[in-house]
Amino acid sequence: MFETRRIRTRVGLQILLTVLVVPFVFPLVAMVQGSLAGAGWGNYATVLSLPLLPGFFLNSALVAAGVIVLVLVCTLMASFGFSKLHIPGKEVFFWLLLACLTMPGVVLLAPLFATVTQVGAYNTLWAVILPLAALQIPFTVLLTRNFVDGIPDQLIEAARVDGANMFQIFWSIMLPLMRPIIAAILVLVFINSWNEFLFPLLFLNTPEQQTITLVPQYFVGQYNNDQTKVLAAAVLTGLPVVIAYICLQRFFERGLAAGALK
Amino acid sequence: MTALPQSVGAATTRSPRRRARRPAGLPWILPALVVSVGILYYCIGYTAYISTLDWDGASPLQEFVGGANYLKMVKDPIFWQSLQHTVIFFVVSFALRVVLGFVFASLLHSRLYLRTFYKVLIFIPVVLATATVAPVFRLIYAPTGTLNQLLEAVGLGSLTQLWLSNGAFALFAVITIQVWQSTGVSFVLYYAAMGQIEPDIVEAARLDGAGDFRVLRSIVWPGVRGTTIALAILTAIDSLKTFDVPFLVTSGGPSFATEFLGTQIYRVSIAYAQVGYGGSLSIVLLVLALAAAILINVTARRRERLDV
Repeated sequence: MFETRRIRTRVGLQILLTVLVVPFVFPLVAMVQGSLAGAGWGNYATVLSLPLLPGFFLNSALVAAGVIVLVLVCTLMASFGFSKLHIPGKEVFFWLLLACLTMPGVVLLAPLFATVTQVGAYNTLWAVILPLAALQIPFTVLLTRNFVDGIPDQLIEAARVDGANMFQIFWSIMLPLMRPIIAAILVLVFINSWNEFLFPLLFLNTPEQQTITLVPQYFVGQYNNDQTKVLAAAVLTGLPVVIAYICLQRFFERGLAAGALK
Repeated sequence: MTALPQSVGAATTRSPRRRARRPAGLPWILPALVVSVGILYYCIGYTAYISTLDWDGASPLQEFVGGANYLKMVKDPIFWQSLQHTVIFFVVSFALRVVLGFVFASLLHSRLYLRTFYKVLIFIPVVLATATVAPVFRLIYAPTGTLNQLLEAVGLGSLTQLWLSNGAFALFAVITIQVWQSTGVSFVLYYAAMGQIEPDIVEAARLDGAGDFRVLRSIVWPGVRGTTIALAILTAIDSLKTFDVPFLVTSGGPSFATEFLGTQIYRVSIAYAQVGYGGSLSIVLLVLALAAAILINVTARRRERLDV
């Protein structure tokens, strides 16, 4: 949006951009630097040698996988229904869903806790997976419905004329066309569930069941507030999401933008 | 039958009159409704019920107290403090998110080097969990932490502060962390919105002699108005939802200086075991979030009408 024909302005803008980015990079550098203070890579060795660590990662992966499957199944089916099929009172259902977009997780605290303990799901991953999925579906449905609206109805009509049933249409026509938005949902939901802090904190109370967002706190207890180990643990927990984001960066931005532009 | 006019309209525009009605779709949206609407509305109903009780959340002793919890809330100075922090938080972080997001987006829409690299750097804070970055921010703002060392090093030693133990500065610290985490989102949204502005219009304005700032002010800024409104709603809801950062970095302190509705609900319900009172705070939080979203939407629409 800036004129960059003169080399002077171009260099000036490049410097301005770099200066503005510094505060965003600074904490990341401080984090890596701090994690290497004292024992250097030894901090990482200590953290990695903790026998419970693979468990934290596994639990986070299981939570993320569970939420992704639930969200994907519900979202893809619902956006097809909302966008292309006949549903009496459709917009009422849609608004019921959209109202959930404003819902803070902390509001669900007491009822979820009571329900979770009652059905015996306390300290199981389900107690985290279900509410997380419930909170994310409204946004992903909004995103995906906008996307599916852009797929022409004629495709479906043609398939119906050819005798395909709804399931075949969904499976062989819609799903392949929805691939870009599926990728966006995947990254988005993965990052959100991997990063969730409140629900694991509330519902998972033994270290064997806990997720990686609770690791820094766990280390504060374990190492008597040895900052270098805590930071090394933090770097390790952050790495998977950063890698996932960098690999799938294009899908992620496209998905976010598609939802907000409508 | 609200969907009927729509399908009739679709039929008349394209296919012959006798086109069959669209197939029934209710079973397709059912799983989403059960998981999302089912769980969430059940919880809200439950919370509304709990908010009329005097209950510790575990014991079988539940006493119905009617509106007493709400009355208690109105008289609770910490509740008003939390609200005040939420408003300050909203105003400051909205301004910063808009300015930073807009500046980054317009810079990265110019022909500069290494654009993807910068984009990734701005966005990485968004994908990192608060739990992951909280330790480093506690370190940065610590009395002998990175920020104070940095100030000493550049000769501004007089500006060093006990960032997290002084109320005003602690709130400021919480806001900067949240802005650090969310600027990537506002940047991506503005970036996408600016991609939709016709390059011809910008070119034409340039030919007419408009400079960079004139173009930004008169073409780009009005062109991304929708995004600014979306950001207002997002930031309002985020401010009301604020939990992770104050909980992990300042624990709501010192002496409630960074208490927000979210952290207050947690403290009241879990630490104080006053689940009924927590429930009434939750209901108020929910009403405020919905009201904020509707209010911003409505005012934005009315303005639009006046503009045209």
